[in-house]
Amino acid sequence: MDKSLTPLLHVVDDDAALRRALIFLLESSGWQVAAYDSAEAFLEGRREPTRPGCLVLDIRMPLMSGLELQRILNDRGVCLPVIFLTGHADVSMVVQAMKLGACDFIEKPFKDQTLLDAICQAVRRDLAQRDENDARRVLCERINKLSPRELDVARLVAEGLPNKIIGLRLDISERTVQVHRQHLMEKLDIHSAAELAQMMLRACQGGA
Amino acid sequence: MHSRRLLTAFPVLLSLLLLWAAGALAAEAGPTRIGVLAYRGPEEAVASWGELPARLARAVPGHRFEMRLLAGPELREAVRRGELEFVLTNSSQYVSLAAEFGVKRIATVMLPEALSSEQAIGSTVLTLANREDVTQLADLRGKRIAAVASDAFGGYLAAAREFLGAGVDLEAGDARLVFVGFPMLQAVEALRAGEADAAIVRTCLLEQLAAKGMLRPADFKVVSQRRPFGFPCATSTPLYPDWPLAVTRDVDRQLEKAVAMALLSLPPSPSGLSWDVPADYQSVNELYRDLMIGPYADLRTTTFRGVLKVYRPYLLAALLLLVGGLVHVVRVETLVKRRTAELRRAQARARELQREAEHMARLSILGEMSGTLAHELNQPLTTIATYAQGLERYCASGQTDMAVIAEANREIVAQTARADQVIRRVRAFARKRTAAREARAIADTVREAIGLLTTLLPDLPKVLLDDRLPPGAMVEADHLQLQQVLLNLMRNAADAMRELPADARAISVVLERVDGDTVVAVTDRGPPVSPETLARLFEPFFSTKPDGLGLGLAICKSIIEAHGGRLRVEPRDPPPGLAFRFNLPDSRSDG
Repeated sequence: MDKSLTPLLHVVDDDAALRRALIFLLESSGWQVAAYDSAEAFLEGRREPTRPGCLVLDIRMPLMSGLELQRILNDRGVCLPVIFLTGHADVSMVVQAMKLGACDFIEKPFKDQTLLDAICQAVRRDLAQRDENDARRVLCERINKLSPRELDVARLVAEGLPNKIIGLRLDISERTVQVHRQHLMEKLDIHSAAELAQMMLRACQGGA
Repeated sequence: MHSRRLLTAFPVLLSLLLLWAAGALAAEAGPTRIGVLAYRGPEEAVASWGELPARLARAVPGHRFEMRLLAGPELREAVRRGELEFVLTNSSQYVSLAAEFGVKRIATVMLPEALSSEQAIGSTVLTLANREDVTQLADLRGKRIAAVASDAFGGYLAAAREFLGAGVDLEAGDARLVFVGFPMLQAVEALRAGEADAAIVRTCLLEQLAAKGMLRPADFKVVSQRRPFGFPCATSTPLYPDWPLAVTRDVDRQLEKAVAMALLSLPPSPSGLSWDVPADYQSVNELYRDLMIGPYADLRTTTFRGVLKVYRPYLLAALLLLVGGLVHVVRVETLVKRRTAELRRAQARARELQREAEHMARLSILGEMSGTLAHELNQPLTTIATYAQGLERYCASGQTDMAVIAEANREIVAQTARADQVIRRVRAFARKRTAAREARAIADTVREAIGLLTTLLPDLPKVLLDDRLPPGAMVEADHLQLQQVLLNLMRNAADAMRELPADARAISVVLERVDGDTVVAVTDRGPPVSPETLARLFEPFFSTKPDGLGLGLAICKSIIEAHGGRLRVEPRDPPPGLAFRFNLPDSRSDG
């Protein structure tokens, strides 16, 4: 398997001993692990960001807390599933973390299986997300091949409008709409208005 | 004292003496004078001793002996003035003269009935045969007792000692004494006449009178009779030595020796008197000491009863005063004791409350920090669990790198110690305890407080400890309490700087010596505090923190004051921040 596709787990914990213990457990379970002693260290020096994986994050750290790190990652649009480790979790903290998109919330001390299951799920999610992103990127690239006029026609077709109305809206003849429609169907390699609508929806969701 | 004397015509004897004396005067420079106790008058004395000078003169050639018949006080006076070479007197006066003027016995008289020179004479205490209520000397307490004279040996003193031994102090008036004087028969007469319940006479008088038909022995009985083996008479007392002949201090040794030899070689007199080697008069001495008379007379005046007798009215007055004083003192003492006990109880209660409050405060610190505390315990626990489970997986996967396994194991052990330490610190801090002061370096206490606080507050700002104390400086204090104070001050400092950027936070702890006191200053760099707040900081239940109990600083203050110091706060110089400073006086130099 391509090394760049092998998952890499990132462990951020200020407690050196626990950090070493996590590395030992996760490596014994066959994972590859990168460890950081603070949220800042992770932000500044995340190793191999292209590889899939997840972030195992101690929620309580002296300088930047786990939640703050999660918020910053969200702001930067970094999609990396987060598993929080916490000594004592109060409800507000859990809610906050989940809103920010946390994958899991594990109370210390934990059973190894619980952590490993959570990690598996998170990595799967990352992989799925990456697949999704890849697919979206392909769509976006195709959509970006359309001319501005074709894109206008495509949006209106996706809304389910007939050619005549589209022509009126864009102040062009129905015939011209017919031609654009044929071209963009060819460019996007689709065969129906329903297909087009679906594709437009997926591509726009990502904000690409 | 000795009866059965042959009554010789006094004038005849006197002329004899004078004749002899005149001859002696012609032959020698001066006569050798013998003072003789004439306790029953000169006639009796001459009757007893009249032949002695002549017999001595015959035995000691070249010396003329002269007998001076003197009553007790005169005899003493004559010895005092040095007018006598020899003294012949009764045992009791001899003991006095020996003690007072150093006269020394050279021979002791022996009566025919005497067992030895040391056991010759005692007292017989008589009562009527029909007195069944009197069998022992003690029975005579408070009764009337006829005796011869207060200085008569057999006729009073020997018996008096036995009375004393039986608990009846005749000298102190435990019985009503009647001194009848000589002849001794009068004592018996007084008894017979019912004027006395008992009579004290010298030993063998009873037997002699009976032999002469002057009384019927069956009419009398002897109280507390004892029968020394071989002694022919009834006695109520031990036997004592009889009269000694003593030499005064300045007599020529040759003469002394010659007289002693002469006396011992004299044949018994017609009345049966003979001379023996000088007896030990220790028993007589002891009698005097027991009775506290004669040379021991001042013993009596210094004993309580003696003093009581002499100074009764004054003593009574003094006693009343004393009792009054004592009552007052006891009353005052009792009051003082009661008040002191009340005060002590109140203090103990206050101390107990103080301890409770301190304990509460410690618990509240722990309570406020329980989250961090759980975190601190969770960390090692999680680490241990993670390693242990990791090991299981490592081994299950067939890997056998012993170095890896050993390393994981080491980590587990280390984490166990870490958890243990957390628990230990917290427990030591939280448990109830009594104050215990010890001499210790305060820097160690500060370091421990920092260590504990690091456990409780993981985001504790850096603490800079500046120890300016001389090396080895110790502070005698309750260091756990001091730790509590330091913990409070440092936690407050940390709280005050919570809003500051991390690199701007710092707590400084300075230890120094000022005027013999150890001074500890805890300084933060927190935002400015209003003077009003500053003034109220030490008030109980005043707190600037939303969840603060407001007891921390109040308790710190009372702890420092209990150590004789003061806790103050002032703005940090230079601002911003506050400096909490307390001093601990050197308790050892204060004593």
